[in-house]
Amino acid sequence: MAAGARRTIDLSPAVLRLAALPILTVIATKRDDESIQLNPIWFELADGYIWVNSNTRRSWPMHLQRDREATLLITDPAEPDRYAQIRGRLAEVIPDPKHEFIDRLARRYTGKLFRELEPGEDRITFKIEPVRVTGQMI
Amino acid sequence: MAVQVSPKVQEFVKEVFPAIIGTARKDGSVEQVPVWFEYADGYFWINGGTNRGWFKHLQRDPRITLLLIDPKNMWRWSQVLGRMVDWAEDPGGEHINHLSHRYMGKDYQGPRTGRIKVRIEPLRVSGAVNGSWG
Repeated sequence: MAAGARRTIDLSPAVLRLAALPILTVIATKRDDESIQLNPIWFELADGYIWVNSNTRRSWPMHLQRDREATLLITDPAEPDRYAQIRGRLAEVIPDPKHEFIDRLARRYTGKLFRELEPGEDRITFKIEPVRVTGQMI
Repeated sequence: MAVQVSPKVQEFVKEVFPAIIGTARKDGSVEQVPVWFEYADGYFWINGGTNRGWFKHLQRDPRITLLLIDPKNMWRWSQVLGRMVDWAEDPGGEHINHLSHRYMGKDYQGPRTGRIKVRIEPLRVSGAVNGSWG
């Protein structure tokens, strides 16, 4: 490990297997009035971080950038009792002007490149550090 | 003010999958867990032990969001922003047994004591099936 590099928490083999499935994660953020918003979104777990991407105009990315934290839930479609709740800290915000990352995510889920961007659509990538994982059968 | 749940969403929530609920921890973060639920009489009903984190959170802040999502096709979902109206003891576990029949098709196998049922009023409902509830 490079000097000064932060080490992320260890994720169990069951969590890694679950996160490798082409399932959506549910991201929980807070609205301005502190009510809770739940959105199913694409994600990828790589290098110990959770990576997600959005159109910059959606609300959950705004909430995430304001609070610098979010909770993510992944559940096993084949085994409803298996789930992992991941509390995450926003580690990095990375513009995706050439939509390379969203293309990578689209390949993971659809096997194809992402659709054509809409006029004025900007994509942005969030790197989220897992801080704590709880759940069942994980 | 409680809102009407559209007929399409009412049909959707008859399907058997857990609700994902979000409640607010004391530190402001959100707890998410899947729970059994049913929609009946204009309210959403969930059940749990009094020691569950989400129940403690709701007693402090009654706001709760439910994500009703088809685990086999996660583009079919409905999000319900709601509020715990009240809760009641579930003596003898009648309500959890009722939910067990909805989900498992049989009597509840876990402990039936120390349980509560929680009534949630929907305040705002949104969602999509492949983009729209149409």
